[in-house]
Amino acid sequence: MNIKLDHIMPEPLASINHSEDSIWGNSVELKSGHRILLNASSGKGKTTFAGTIYGLRRDYSGTVTFDGEDIRSFDPDRWTDIRKTKISAIFQDLQLFPDLSVRENLLLKNQLTDTYSEVEFKQMMQRLEIDDKWEQPCGLLSMGQKQRVAIIRALAQPYQWLLLDEPFSHLDVDNTDRCMVMIHERTMEQKAGFVLTSLGSAHDYEYDYELKL
Amino acid sequence: MLNKLLFRNQDSRQLVIAMIGAFLGITFLVTSIHYLIKVQEFGEGNDVLGPNTIVVQKKVTEASVFNLTKTDFSEDAIKEIRDLPFVSRAQPVISRGLYFEKDDNKVPVDFGTDVFVQTVDAEFLDMDSEKWTWEEGAGHVPIVLPRQFLVMLNTYAASRNIPQVSESLAKRIRFKLTLHSKDGKTKESHRAYIVGFTNSVASILVPEDFMSYANNKFSADEKQKVTQLMISSKDGQFGKVEEYMNKHALESAESEMNLSRLKSIVGTLFLVVIGISIIAVFVSCLVLIQYMQLLITRNLYEVRTLMRIGYHPKELVRKFFKYFSIIFAIIIGIAFTTFIILKSWLDGMFADGGVYIDNNLTAWSFGALIVAYTFFMLSSFLTARKGIYEEY
Repeated sequence: MNIKLDHIMPEPLASINHSEDSIWGNSVELKSGHRILLNASSGKGKTTFAGTIYGLRRDYSGTVTFDGEDIRSFDPDRWTDIRKTKISAIFQDLQLFPDLSVRENLLLKNQLTDTYSEVEFKQMMQRLEIDDKWEQPCGLLSMGQKQRVAIIRALAQPYQWLLLDEPFSHLDVDNTDRCMVMIHERTMEQKAGFVLTSLGSAHDYEYDYELKL
Repeated sequence: MLNKLLFRNQDSRQLVIAMIGAFLGITFLVTSIHYLIKVQEFGEGNDVLGPNTIVVQKKVTEASVFNLTKTDFSEDAIKEIRDLPFVSRAQPVISRGLYFEKDDNKVPVDFGTDVFVQTVDAEFLDMDSEKWTWEEGAGHVPIVLPRQFLVMLNTYAASRNIPQVSESLAKRIRFKLTLHSKDGKTKESHRAYIVGFTNSVASILVPEDFMSYANNKFSADEKQKVTQLMISSKDGQFGKVEEYMNKHALESAESEMNLSRLKSIVGTLFLVVIGISIIAVFVSCLVLIQYMQLLITRNLYEVRTLMRIGYHPKELVRKFFKYFSIIFAIIIGIAFTTFIILKSWLDGMFADGGVYIDNNLTAWSFGALIVAYTFFMLSSFLTARKGIYEEY
């Protein structure tokens, strides 16, 4: 699925001066299967970008199209299908359910598409060194542990694009590497693309091109 | 898991209070509808005359004795009564005398007497109008017998040690009606059979066609005066008929007046209870709906997040709708069970007081339950839909 941003300008960012190569106010195409880095300092609109692509924000001028279709015309049926099978996201604020256990958080997502078994989830948690948290409520985990749960949850569905909004902000280098490897494997397995937003670090990950904000 | 997520933080006290309100409202609604119908039906099953029907005549006073005032109804007076907003129908009662006797051997009592017969229009009778017709040459004349007549006959039979006659047996007996001219020189007999009994009038009732035939043939030169009217009031408006009668010096038999008056009062009381019950059901529904809104508001984060990770808003609406459907079903179930218990207790109380009300359930009671359930369900669906889609 190709994503095109045609002269997008979010209302909250309209009063800021953007550089000539910024995606805001220009035309940009995110081609299927590409790995893209969105590297910018705080307040430049990284989360706004992810929210716009994911259909959470409509306060912008310009047009966003998926394979030529304006996303403003999509109804709840279409967005539900897109969020289940086309675009997965790791939100900056993670969007986990604090009262549910890690197991319940993962299975709640997984029951939509039945992507993984419980055993596979446990293996993934083991790889990210949080397998002992399986039955623990998410609200009791540290931010770093929550980020790893949110990454596993985002991988538990088929997707063509993965939006990662500062997913490693609370992780050390070793854990970031482990997460990056897992994301890479899953993304390659599906021949999908991703957009990684970051506060100045590329986390040594290979990307096809970088977008400016 | 979805249920655990969406319904874990509840104020059970508020839910229970709303459920009790809905339960009480529905119980009273169903009970009052049931008894309103039973009160309206009371006494109808064994009387062929329709509900709230009375025969009225002008009060006989000193003035009328000396022919200073008339005791008959003019055409205009009949029209005026017929046009009253609380009167559903009014017909003149035409009468004449004839000889009434038994015409078979099914009962061992021989009797024959001069009686007074009156007409009643088919629309006043709670029976198939085709059975209440007569034409010249017809084999039998259908008649309605005053129940008092049968009581008198049985009293006589008992005093003579003769078997008494039940209503069903009486209907199988053939009678003979003999019309005669004023001087008694011309006579003509017709076979007759009973089609029903009444407590409302004291004379034997015959179809209008038979009366017209008799009067034309045997009293053609006599002008018929209408001294009685049969009146049916509209449901619950008997009091207005009574008020009109008092104002215009009309009277009727006290017993039939009492029954109609009582039915009218009790009917009005039950209507008030129904009104209060409907308000209670409506208010409790509002409280339950408000409770659902509160539940959705408390779970806004969960609702939004579920939709962000791929849950369809329709599925979340379905979850809330299903949850409240179960709550409403429980309320309806408990209300119905309570109604059955309450009904059994009230029926017993009525029976102890000598009032035997038919104890079958009415379709309207079930209808009220279905309407209340549908109202709750529709309100909950629309509320859930609005609350969830607003967050999309």
